[in-house]
Parts: sequence; C-alpha cells; structure tokens
Amino acid sequence: MMRRALPLLLSGALALLYPLLVSGSAVYQRLGALVLLSAIGASAWNLIGGYAGQVSVGHAVFFGAGAYAALAGYAQFALPPIAGAPIGVAVAILIAALIGVPTLRLSGHYFSMATIAVAELVRVLVTNWEWLGGAQGISGPAVARTVLDLSFTSAVPYYYIFLAVLAAILFITWRIEKSRMGFYLRAIKDSERAARSLGVAAGRYKLYAYMLSAGLTAVAGALYAIMFGFIDPESGCGILISVKMLIMAALGGAGLLFGPLVGALILVPLEEISNSLLGGKGAGLTFVVYGAIIVVIARFLPSGLLALFTGRMRPARKPAATEPSHAA
Amino acid sequence: MLLEAGQLTMAFGAFKAVDNASVAVNEGEVLGLIGPNGAGKSTFFNCLTGDLRPTSGTVRFADRDVTRLAPEERARLGIARTFQVPLTFESMSVLDNVMIGAFLRHHAAAAARDKALQVIGEVGLGGVAEASAKSLGTPGRKRLEIARALASEPKVLLLDEAMAGLTPAEIRAAIDLVRQIHGRGITLVIVEHIMEVIVSLADRVVVFHQGREIARGTPTEVTRNELVIEAYLGKRHAAKLSGGAA
Repeated sequence: MMRRALPLLLSGALALLYPLLVSGSAVYQRLGALVLLSAIGASAWNLIGGYAGQVSVGHAVFFGAGAYAALAGYAQFALPPIAGAPIGVAVAILIAALIGVPTLRLSGHYFSMATIAVAELVRVLVTNWEWLGGAQGISGPAVARTVLDLSFTSAVPYYYIFLAVLAAILFITWRIEKSRMGFYLRAIKDSERAARSLGVAAGRYKLYAYMLSAGLTAVAGALYAIMFGFIDPESGCGILISVKMLIMAALGGAGLLFGPLVGALILVPLEEISNSLLGGKGAGLTFVVYGAIIVVIARFLPSGLLALFTGRMRPARKPAATEPSHAA
Repeated sequence: MLLEAGQLTMAFGAFKAVDNASVAVNEGEVLGLIGPNGAGKSTFFNCLTGDLRPTSGTVRFADRDVTRLAPEERARLGIARTFQVPLTFESMSVLDNVMIGAFLRHHAAAAARDKALQVIGEVGLGGVAEASAKSLGTPGRKRLEIARALASEPKVLLLDEAMAGLTPAEIRAAIDLVRQIHGRGITLVIVEHIMEVIVSLADRVVVFHQGREIARGTPTEVTRNELVIEAYLGKRHAAKLSGGAA
C-alpha cells in the first residue's frame, strides 16, 4: 500500500499544480483540461468495458445524452447548461437499462456489434430531430449570463472542475474494485459460466455496471458541451466518441483503475498535435491512426501499457483451451 | 431426498441426450453417475445445475421445484459444481478465484477473504494462494475448482470428472480430498469415467447408456450387471466374459 501511495501523492500534487506550471501557455492549459475530460469518459467506459469485459462501442449514446441535455436545457428553456446535466445522466441510465436488458445477454463480439448498431441508430435519430437542432446542432450561451453558465475564456476553471470529477469517478471505481461487485465483474469477464455456477447473478451485475457506466459517461458529455458550448450529431453521438473511449482505456489498461487516464495522457496530446499539423484535412486520417493503434494494442499490449508495470502482463498469444477473451 | 430429477428429458432437436431419467440423491450420500462416452451423463448433470433447461421433467432440490431456476439461483440454494474442463478465472490469483465462491455467503471482502483462505488451506493449496491461477497445472486447477465450489458453502457438490487427466498418485490424493469433503456432511454427486474412483467413493451408482438409465445399485452390483458390461464392452466381449461358449 505504501509503495503505491507515494507515486499517487506525487501524481496528485502534479495534477493540482499543472495549470500553474504552464501558466504562460493557454494551449497547454487547454490540453490539460482536454486530457482530463477524455479520461473521465474513458474511466466511465472502463467500468463495463474494462472490469466487466463487455466491450461497448456505443457509449457515444450516453455521451450524447449528457451533452444534448445540457445544451437543450439552455436552447429550449434558457437554463444554465449544468442544470441539464442531471437530466442527461438520468436519460443515459434509462437508455442503458432499455438496451442493456436485451443486448447484455449477447456474448463477446455480438454485444459490441449491437451497441454500434444502437449508437448509429440514435445518431441518425438525433440528426433528424429538430428539437435537438437536427444536423446543425445546438449552441450554448455565447457569453456567460451568470457564473452558473460555467462559460470561461480560460481553460483553468474547466481543468479544476474536470480534475474534481475525474477524482470522484476514480474513487467510485476504486471502491467497486475492492468490493464484491468488483470481484464479480472480473469473474464475469473471465468466465461467465463459472461465475454463475458460484452464485454470481451475472445478468444483474452486468446491467448495474452498464447503467453506472452510462450515467458517468453522460457526465463527461455534459462537461464537454459546457466547455465547448456546441454540440452536433457527430461530436455528440458519432462513432469516434465511442471508439476513443475504448482505445484510451485499452491502451492504458482496460480493467485497471488508472488505465484510461494513462491512455488519455498519451492519445489526447497525440491527437492535438496531428490536428494542428494536418489542419482540417486530417479528419479522415484520424480513423487510420486509431485503426493502427487498435492493431498495435491487440498484437503487443492486450492488457495495456500499465500492465507492463503492475506485472499483470498477459502473453500476447494465450494458450489454447481457455475461453476466448473479449478485451480489446 | 436432497436432489431429485423426475422423468427428465433433454432433447437437442430429434436427439434425446437424456431420455426420461429419474434419479434421486439422498442427503449425505455419494452418488456416482457412470456410463460410456456420450451416455448423457454430462447433459444430465448440466440439467441438475441449471446450465441446461430440460425439455421436460422436473428437478427438485430440498423440497423445492428448481427446474426453472438459473444456475446462480441454484448456487444460492446450495448446489455447487466443478467443470469437466476447468473454468478457472484466469486473470486472477488462486485466492481471488476462491473469494468469488466465498462472496456468496460473506458479502464483506475481509470476511470472504478469511473464508477463502480457510478453504484454500483445507484443500491443500495453501502454498500457492497468492499465485496466478493460470500458473497451475491440471491437478491444481481441478483442486482450485473444488475449493471455489466449497467456499460457496454448498449442501451438495457435483463433480464433473474431477479426476480426469490426473496421474494415479494424483487420483489417490484427490480421492482423499473428496472423502474429507464428504466427511463434513456435504452430499456428493460424481460423474466419473475411472472405475477405481467410483468403487472407492460411491455408495450408490446409476449407470447411463444412450440417454437412459440401464442399471443402479452399489458399485459392485453394477459392475457385475450384464447390461452394464455390454454397454461398456459391446455384446461380443460381454458374452466372452460371462462364460464363453454358452
């Protein structure tokens, strides 16, 4: 425990001081906020995709629920965007319950495919839904009416809001990891059949993890909408949103507490650099880069980067006669 | 009667893997299920545990109809099992594997850990509690599955070929372990290929052949039964055994 406490304290201190260390550069402050925001989404995904091994590729639905709820509340009822966030969380949990009951029965790749299908369906639905701005999307308040609008020119306030939310999510995840639910989720990931034979109500636990993951992903969506002040079908419910969460978690270490954060620390700066180098022309290339990363993870890092340090590295080729693993 | 299958049939399409089988397991006994390959033992076994839902017939446990209950609900009532091909939780340590079983009756992590460590000691895995489950060989995995099942504090434990793939010395050690488990008052149902195991452990034996029960009795009775010999060896050899030119 002590061996882990020191690096943790140092990282925590560094995270708190980071905006001051780069106080001269608005670009780096913004980058820090973006890393944390991505880490929030990927950590939320990690609960169902990493710990329970149910690889959702449709979390954009929940992200979109949070993002749209925040800005629709403003556009339709002139509420501060943050007021819509709880509604987005509730909607996301409800959607998760509705699609989780039939789809979580599916195993492995079939679950992943079902989640993609649902997410694409929702994206098309939102694109044709005028109340939510249709294909044009909706904007938040152009200038802050009150401080409640959480509209700042500097990225530093966002940085600290995101840091607090990420800390809360990691704390929740850590508590789950140490509890019966955490053990059960890992057991379900390894062998659902064996888990059920030992009294694990696999269907129920997967659903709980899915709903919790969905609610927290909606928080990430709402925070995104608050910071950027604009959401459209692609940035709210596009498949890239889902894929990014998955890749970040898998790169850092799916099913590990700090895995998604490590993934975000690597991928978000990479993405910002490639965007600034390629400008607007790089949109299609992003998919190519993500595809390449997926190949590298699957081949060389099936347990993620963090596993290299925790000694939980799995051989790239698993011996035969074990159940197929669904991670990444 | 602790566990009872009544007129159980499990059909896959037109093929009846289990055909109208009625078997009762008495509290405190060791019941052996034997039969040649493809006799329907494992299918029958999976109907008892809830992994398969029978086409017709009933499964009763402790005076309760459990035919429609899921495996996890049966586990909660006190039915535990092992798997023919071990399904250990590969990413976990031996201790964590057993804790999954212990969590059924002990919801706090510390209590589950204590229970798991106790069971690990009892089955002789104390030296490897912290080791990764995937570092274990076949005997270790079979033992781990038994430990995991015991940690769920079952009333009846169903062992699906728990000795398959073990060396003679390992089999003797495993037989001792099963005796010790039975000595604690746990009812046992064992599916087994190895006659030595059945003879030294089972009080009663039910013999399956082509989905049907063909004999029951003590191990010595059934090994003398002509239908049983025929099922295992075929008609010609059976005739030779029972006196040659009759």
